Amino acid sequence: MNKVDLTIDFAGLKLKSPVFTASGTCGYADELDDFMDIGRLGGFITKSITIEKRDGNPVPRIVETNSGMLNAIGLANVGVEKFIAEKLPLLKNYKTPFFVNIAGKTIDEYIAVAEKLAQFEQIAGFELNISCPNVKKGGITFGTDPQLIHQITSAVKKAGGKKILITKLTPNVTDISITAKAAIEAGTDALSMINTFTAMVIDIETRKPVLANRTGGLSGPAIKPIAVYLVNKVYNEVAKSANVPILGGGGIRCASDAVEFLIAGATAVSIGTASFIYPDTAIKVIDGIEDYCRRHKVGKISELTGSLK
Amino acid sequence: MEKCASKKKGVFDVSVLANEPIGECFYRLSLAVEGKAGEAFRTAKPGQFAEFELAGASLPSAEQTPNELADKALRQIILRRPFSFSDIEITGGKGKLEVLYCVLGSATLRTKTLTIGDKISLLGPLGNGFSIERGKTLAILVAGGMGIPPLLHLAKELSKSPNTKTIAFVGARSGSQLPCREIKNVKTFISTDDGSLGFKGFVTAMLKDWLIKEKPDASKTIIYTCGPEIMMAGVAKIAGEFGIGCQVSLERVMACGTGLCQGCAVKCIDKQTKETGYKLCCKDGPIFWADEVIF
Repeated sequence: MNKVDLTIDFAGLKLKSPVFTASGTCGYADELDDFMDIGRLGGFITKSITIEKRDGNPVPRIVETNSGMLNAIGLANVGVEKFIAEKLPLLKNYKTPFFVNIAGKTIDEYIAVAEKLAQFEQIAGFELNISCPNVKKGGITFGTDPQLIHQITSAVKKAGGKKILITKLTPNVTDISITAKAAIEAGTDALSMINTFTAMVIDIETRKPVLANRTGGLSGPAIKPIAVYLVNKVYNEVAKSANVPILGGGGIRCASDAVEFLIAGATAVSIGTASFIYPDTAIKVIDGIEDYCRRHKVGKISELTGSLK
Repeated sequence: MEKCASKKKGVFDVSVLANEPIGECFYRLSLAVEGKAGEAFRTAKPGQFAEFELAGASLPSAEQTPNELADKALRQIILRRPFSFSDIEITGGKGKLEVLYCVLGSATLRTKTLTIGDKISLLGPLGNGFSIERGKTLAILVAGGMGIPPLLHLAKELSKSPNTKTIAFVGARSGSQLPCREIKNVKTFISTDDGSLGFKGFVTAMLKDWLIKEKPDASKTIIYTCGPEIMMAGVAKIAGEFGIGCQVSLERVMACGTGLCQGCAVKCIDKQTKETGYKLCCKDGPIFWADEVIF
């Protein structure tokens, strides 16, 4: 059997596979330990970390939809100090690059988290969650305003020193290439796309939204074709020419879903909601991608990226 | 409450032994376990649960779908569903798991069509389970409607402690909606909202009357409860009034059951610091001490 080279160059980092677990769907790693060998992942992205501990939203925080789900967790997390004290030491046990997803209410909060984490060797980089409301700008989502994206991306890149910065784009914009371009011009090392779609489910008996937060983010197989399209659009319009890798994801459940993202232009893929159903989905996807490459005589996984005809 | 009782949780394919209606409301699903699944569930405690993958099971035909569930039959499900067990019997690495369920939505409609030999995927055992406390000579089970199943499993475990007497208060809307009229070897008091069986009224009223009349030694008594949250809040209040320790089995919408999604938050108060915050139903529960939960 011919050997498939699954390693990728991701913004200068050599990763052993093109499969990541997505922020907010894989905890802080210890939760997944019972189910899979985390060391096989290309990268692991923690749930969002904020400067202060956050309890998150009241329940219901989750509601299932046709082939998908909405979540409105509210960035529940232990806060950066406790993350450093309690979770970070555990990450040493795994031989995979860790990316810490950073969120905040103001640009200063993002900077503060990045500064506190920049010194730790076990962190490969940051993923910037810009799908949060900016309280100083009347609650406008950072990720929908190109100027704000530029400001926050360059500020966090500077605060993070040598750490790789992945900017996670929200699909809740008119033209995602504009926001992608803003992040690239501000110096992001990679793009992660896409975050969830803002959505609502209504309980018709009570005429109230099901989620306590009223709206939530739609994820799961329902969003996959849109995500594939958006990855392809950003790859063609901005990322390819700028040589910025895309971490693509949205509704991936199996290897063939992942391969679609790679063909569309992603350098790597992230597994999100599917980990809730089969916690070892990421590993099955790695194995399945390898099988696909064998069948199609692809020697190196990076040959697939952007190979859409 | 201690953390996950079993360390051997995993994803297992198990096969259906039987799936039959019992009474008007409940169905009993029996699953054969062996090998690694047998090993994992052998030490599972009452109140622990598993996440069942039901998306692959077929829907009943249109004629066999109750009218009120016709819309729900059109929903494509993707997430697993949590179920606790009414019985687990595993010896020598082989045995069976038993689930009692009611057909209420798109997942249980599919559960109903499972037949002998079908395989389904279970993720578990999950959660902490009831803790059987030492020095308690009286265990009071308080169950409401669909909360009965895990207490049947608990009653069986409690029967292994010769110094603990167990009694049960079981409530339902009507007598026909009960999966059983008594719990084996347990003095069982029934209440129904419509008075069709036993005491007419809420199970909480029956519990309170009994406690006033019988005056059990609070320090040697424990209450275990599972049912609608409003009922459990009532039981928790009564337990507090009588100074009796009480464990509640909570239910939340869960996407994963493994602590990944953080969806199943339960608002709790730290008894020492009085600080409030969320715990996770799937990992920190589903069994909580009643006095740590903010209902």
